[in-house]
Amino acid sequence: MPSVKKSPFLSLSWQGQLQDYVTVMDWSPDGKWLAIASGSGEVTLLNVAELQTIVLEPAGTTSVDCLGFSCDGQFLAAGGQNGQVKIWEIPHDLSAAQPSRPKLLKVLEHSRTWVEHLSWNPTRNELAFSLGRYVQVWDTDSGEIVSTLPFETSSVLDIAWHPGGKQLAVSGHLAVKIWSRSDWDNDPVVQDLAAAGLAIGISPDGQYLASGNLDNTLVVWGWESPHPWRMTGFPSKVSHLAWANATRKSAPIIAVASGAGLVTWRKQSTDEEGWSSQVFDQHHKKIVALAFQPDSSLLASASEDGQVILWHKAKTLSQILEGVAQGFSALAWNPKGSLLASGGAQGEWLIWSQSDSYRRLRQRGKGFLR
Amino acid sequence: MVNATVANSVPATVPVTVLTGYLGAGKTTLLNRILTHEHGKKVAVIVNEFGEIGIDNQLVIDADEEIFEMNNGCICCSVRGDLIRIVSNLMKRRDKFDHLVIETTGLADPAPVIQTFFVDEDMKEQITLDAVVTLVDAKHIHQHWEAEEAQEQIAFADVILLNKTDLVSAADLADLEAKIRGMNAMAKIYRTQDAGVEMDSVLGVQAFDLTRALEIDPEFLGEEAHEHDETVGSIALAEPGEINGQKLNGWLSNLLQTQGPDIFRMKGILNIQGEDQRFVFQGVHMLFDGRPDRQWKPEETRKNELVFIGRNLDADQLKEDFRACLA
Repeated sequence: MPSVKKSPFLSLSWQGQLQDYVTVMDWSPDGKWLAIASGSGEVTLLNVAELQTIVLEPAGTTSVDCLGFSCDGQFLAAGGQNGQVKIWEIPHDLSAAQPSRPKLLKVLEHSRTWVEHLSWNPTRNELAFSLGRYVQVWDTDSGEIVSTLPFETSSVLDIAWHPGGKQLAVSGHLAVKIWSRSDWDNDPVVQDLAAAGLAIGISPDGQYLASGNLDNTLVVWGWESPHPWRMTGFPSKVSHLAWANATRKSAPIIAVASGAGLVTWRKQSTDEEGWSSQVFDQHHKKIVALAFQPDSSLLASASEDGQVILWHKAKTLSQILEGVAQGFSALAWNPKGSLLASGGAQGEWLIWSQSDSYRRLRQRGKGFLR
Repeated sequence: MVNATVANSVPATVPVTVLTGYLGAGKTTLLNRILTHEHGKKVAVIVNEFGEIGIDNQLVIDADEEIFEMNNGCICCSVRGDLIRIVSNLMKRRDKFDHLVIETTGLADPAPVIQTFFVDEDMKEQITLDAVVTLVDAKHIHQHWEAEEAQEQIAFADVILLNKTDLVSAADLADLEAKIRGMNAMAKIYRTQDAGVEMDSVLGVQAFDLTRALEIDPEFLGEEAHEHDETVGSIALAEPGEINGQKLNGWLSNLLQTQGPDIFRMKGILNIQGEDQRFVFQGVHMLFDGRPDRQWKPEETRKNELVFIGRNLDADQLKEDFRACLA
């Protein structure tokens, strides 16, 4: 253990610069590519192993606000202020040196509406994206919009697929609505809220749905249960949340951001006991992103204060990462959890990797456990 | 020196101008004037109605008005969800915009727009409400007097342009102005044709800046009673003497609790007993913002001035209750 303490857990391995605020980042499922988008509409692919970049979209006048790889890594979708959803096909042998390039497969055009959220079905090549008060679902096999779901009470504020891929949750003013893909035309299950649901997340085991809300509350339901837990006392609106995806049998943990405040909630052993919370006030400006390391309860929080903080077991401050001029804006762990990508408000991107000594230790530990 | 420092520092927040008024009152004309004036600056325009906006290179965003009510429908807690969503998105730029203009429909309630910039913490941090500018079609406003929105848009305004003055007689215009003054004693009123007004009158007004002095039309203040047909009106109170801070606190909190939904805006300067500084305050529905201001000057007559703009306000009761707060 002393050797771990001497060397930091993560160290900077690569960095670069886009022209504007990094709005969103996503890793391909095989971990080979990191896609980054910016406030000036850039979309760039980074190959971290070979230190190569491929520019898919140059800087323009409107932002790209959402982006994501399909579950099999075959497609990349991006949407933004120009009302377009662009879908690229990513060749298996893609490399910056090779002649094979990502092929722009489809442009879904919508005039005068921003595309602010998109999410791929975790089990098939089906893309859901927001369009004002609607969510549209596009199927790559048929190349068609298979459904247009009306949220009705407001613009769509967040969307999330259930890990099983059979249901889609959509949040907005006064509700989270859950549609089933077996019958898109059927009325959604409506989980009522007292205010607008700003950020939603479903636990990786599919057991819980959480909504962070404009009225400074967090509401958590057992999946499709009508009786929620309602967490209050947040300093301001609850704008970001993330569920831990620890593989071993453990209590669910959700981390939420409210202004500069970070709060974790752990499920107690019985429903009656509910959830216990812990508050962390190390950030001094608004938290803009939260991400748990895959298969662990190591939490990363990024803030406008220019710090990314790593929280060991979502409890103890273990490392502070810096390196941007005016605050961070985005975070993404690679699927193995060995690399952490972050973006900055001035267009910076930084990739940290586990230091060698730590990686060896972790591998040894894994071997031992097996 | 202090002033020079302030002037040289980069403003931390972006000013927002809210344009209200009925369709056809001249909002788009004024908007185009603002955009021409702000040439070279990055102006973001949020529109709720289609109009002809003739300036390139400016960001024009269509929005549907989305009122987000909280706390069981209390109007004082209503904000505009569309504005929070759009402004938060626009703030994700390295070089943020220099000025935000929000054009509302003739049917919009201005209160949630104003409240958005005082209630939402992200908006509060990044945006400063400069002024609510209301355009009134001098010829056709008479068709809209019955509508609550028309009255509220006048009541909430910091600047009112009586537009299309060329289409009405001088006598009608004078009547209209008197009527509007009765509804809103705080607003600056300008008579215009084609929304032609000095840009200094509508931009950089800082109407919500507490350190700017309260300005009540002296003529309005001098009059004893105001007879008007509308349920929306202004009540100005002016009293010499010193105020008991504790009594005032009790009165104001009770007033806002019981009549908050009917009080659209209020502003005041007070002479609090035992204090050498002026106490200034403003309010929008139940939102209240007050603090000690500058020192009273030696040559200055210390006084108390308050203006309430609202619906069905009882002038005599307000006056009586306020006088009861005198030390």
